[in-house]
Amino acid sequence: MQASTSLPSAQRTRDTQAQGLRRAVKRRHTRAGLLFVSPWVIGFLAFFVYPFFATLYYSFTNFNGIQSAKLIGFTNYVDLFHDPLFKTSLFNTFYYTACELPLSTIVALGLALLLNMDVKGRAIYRTIFYIPSIVPLVASCLIFVWIFNPDSGIVNDLLTDVHIPGPGWFFSIVWSKPSFILLGLWGLGQPMVIYLAGLQSVPREMYEVADLDGARPWQRLRYVTLPMISPVILFNVILQLVLCIAYFTQAQVIENGDVGGPGTSTWFYVQYLYEQAFEYLKFGYSSAMAFFLFVVSALIMVALFKSSSRWVYYASEQQ
Amino acid sequence: MNHRGGKGTDAAGRSTGARSHRPNGLKKRSLAKISTAIATAAIVGAVGVGTTGVANASVVNLTWWTMWSGATLQLLNQMTTQFNKTHPGIHVSETAIPSSATASTAKLLSSIAAGDPPDIFTEWWPEIGEFAADGDLDSMSPYLTGKYAGFEKWEYPVAVQGGTYRGNLYAVPMGLNSWALYYNKGLLAKAGVMSPPTTLAQLQADQAKEWVITNGKVQQLGMYPDLNENGFLFYASFFGAMNCFNAAGKYDYENCAGAKALMNWIASYSKYPYAQVMALQTAMGQVAGGDTDIFSGGKAGFTLSGPWEGAQNIPTTGGKGLQGDFGVIPFPGTVGGPSTIGQGNFNIIPQGSAHPAQAFEFISWLAGYQNEAFMGTIDPKGGWVPGGPSVTKQPAYQAWLKANPWLGPFLPQMTSKYTVAPALTPTQAELFNAMNTATSNVLEKIMTPEAALKYIDQQGNS
Repeated sequence: MQASTSLPSAQRTRDTQAQGLRRAVKRRHTRAGLLFVSPWVIGFLAFFVYPFFATLYYSFTNFNGIQSAKLIGFTNYVDLFHDPLFKTSLFNTFYYTACELPLSTIVALGLALLLNMDVKGRAIYRTIFYIPSIVPLVASCLIFVWIFNPDSGIVNDLLTDVHIPGPGWFFSIVWSKPSFILLGLWGLGQPMVIYLAGLQSVPREMYEVADLDGARPWQRLRYVTLPMISPVILFNVILQLVLCIAYFTQAQVIENGDVGGPGTSTWFYVQYLYEQAFEYLKFGYSSAMAFFLFVVSALIMVALFKSSSRWVYYASEQQ
Repeated sequence: MNHRGGKGTDAAGRSTGARSHRPNGLKKRSLAKISTAIATAAIVGAVGVGTTGVANASVVNLTWWTMWSGATLQLLNQMTTQFNKTHPGIHVSETAIPSSATASTAKLLSSIAAGDPPDIFTEWWPEIGEFAADGDLDSMSPYLTGKYAGFEKWEYPVAVQGGTYRGNLYAVPMGLNSWALYYNKGLLAKAGVMSPPTTLAQLQADQAKEWVITNGKVQQLGMYPDLNENGFLFYASFFGAMNCFNAAGKYDYENCAGAKALMNWIASYSKYPYAQVMALQTAMGQVAGGDTDIFSGGKAGFTLSGPWEGAQNIPTTGGKGLQGDFGVIPFPGTVGGPSTIGQGNFNIIPQGSAHPAQAFEFISWLAGYQNEAFMGTIDPKGGWVPGGPSVTKQPAYQAWLKANPWLGPFLPQMTSKYTVAPALTPTQAELFNAMNTATSNVLEKIMTPEAALKYIDQQGNS
């Protein structure tokens, strides 16, 4: 009897001890896990969460970066819509994005399709087309200004040889934005490689089935290739969209002193935001610009993701 | 278990616990040694610094942020060395920071916000009004007593005007610019122009003869208002368009007769291909690493520039034949009389400077105040007009003037009553950018002169 009562008791003690041990191990694992992820968490809180809310707060203030910020309500947001340069910078960025995004998608995908073909020297072609994307951005910009210089650049020399008057490129109000779009197309190695990886993951059997059904090359592309790589297209479109919206470095390097010039033809949104903060010391106003940009970007992204259910095909979901 | 060689391995040669114990022991000892070494080094270092004199308790250390590199930085080094030699109680350390306006402003602002600004900062003037209005600068007015009581009278009036905001002195130039019209004698002679113009109409006619455009490309030009990055601003004093304000104290270029005349004059150049001119300018700069402009490269009949053009740019490309083949005249047909924009490299004391009084001592010394003889040797090397006229009387400066007769127009116009500096305002940077944009828009026929002036007011008053 004693034994029968003591056994469950010992069992309970052992269970309790085991549970305690498991909890201790779990706590230790949690601590270790948190410790391991803490650099990222701290970085995320310090460099993303805090700046995000700080930007939101400063957007409602008059703040010069040094003196204490004074709350002014929605004044900065109201001022935005009375600022012609704000509208210009928004238009320029929209223009650039509207042209660059489809063009870069078509060109990068087109190159990837070509480089995916089984031709001799394929590796060399791939290398050649990828090289521009590893050239430092500033160097690319300077090279572009050089070769597109309307006075001494090789592009206009070639155009002159075929009796076409060369445009003013970066120096012309009319041609400056198209010039930046061309520059954007030059460094498409990165998305091209991603498309290439996507193309290589399309199962061969799909093409064999399509061939058996008598599909022509265009039909193979339309009904096999594009649906199968549509997740990759979505990924690249999002990346390119972010780069277009935040367009800054190339414009800053190429304009070199004549910011936004010639005229106001290349005032891009983030450039104008930067100028407001660090040249005009209007940190409150630039915070409002930043938050406005966040809202617009978020809306575009939501729309893109919503639309993706109609044109992006995930093979795993179908299974 | 095998302990040979200090390594614990089992029979199969795998690591054992013993292996990790021994190195840990070593690690602890090593750490202790390293810590001791660091502590010792820190103590020795601190003692060492304390005995060098640089960080001596009786020596005030000043930090000076500048934006130059190359030859100009070398000149600044000479100035700093000389100051440190002649002022044993103060030691100035100079730091070159990025030279773009926004980058340097960002650095300055973050240093002020962090409570560790430099004691002296060299600034182009667009932001000084904004800084002063926001309380980011220390006023220098409290130091204008004792031996500095006569400082403002010693400076060129335009230097005082350019550094004063609401009655307080916030900025002092260490070197001023004076702008005049350079002409290329060879190009003018080739075009049949035997003497430089004396009126604006004559300048227009003479410069028109030098343009060479082949296949749409500008090979050579006469004159172009936008070669100086900000055509409107640098020509403003010649047309009486420098500070156009209305009764309410707002910028009012739209109703300013001088501004209208200037913008119409700029518009008269819209018949030339803007993009091609800018492209030629860029190409020239690229060829010589950015130092050469169209004029010093021998491709322009005229250009508006300062004494540094003849002192620095032209000798750089002198091998191409321009050296000795150019002349300088006051800009012809100016409203009132000879004039120039009061502009220069201004020194400021950021708010929070640890030693503002000593910073002012250094700043006034850099301007040449009670330091005329030394600055008289330095200013010619930089091609600078000094902060005060008495420096120009020094033998070294006089020798430079004598050796370079083309310098003649630059100094007299500094004391002209028509020479003015842009008034310091909180939106000066916006105004200057708007002038720049308006100029290129007029030259590209995107804006009419009237619309351009309206745009300047709109942005300048924003």
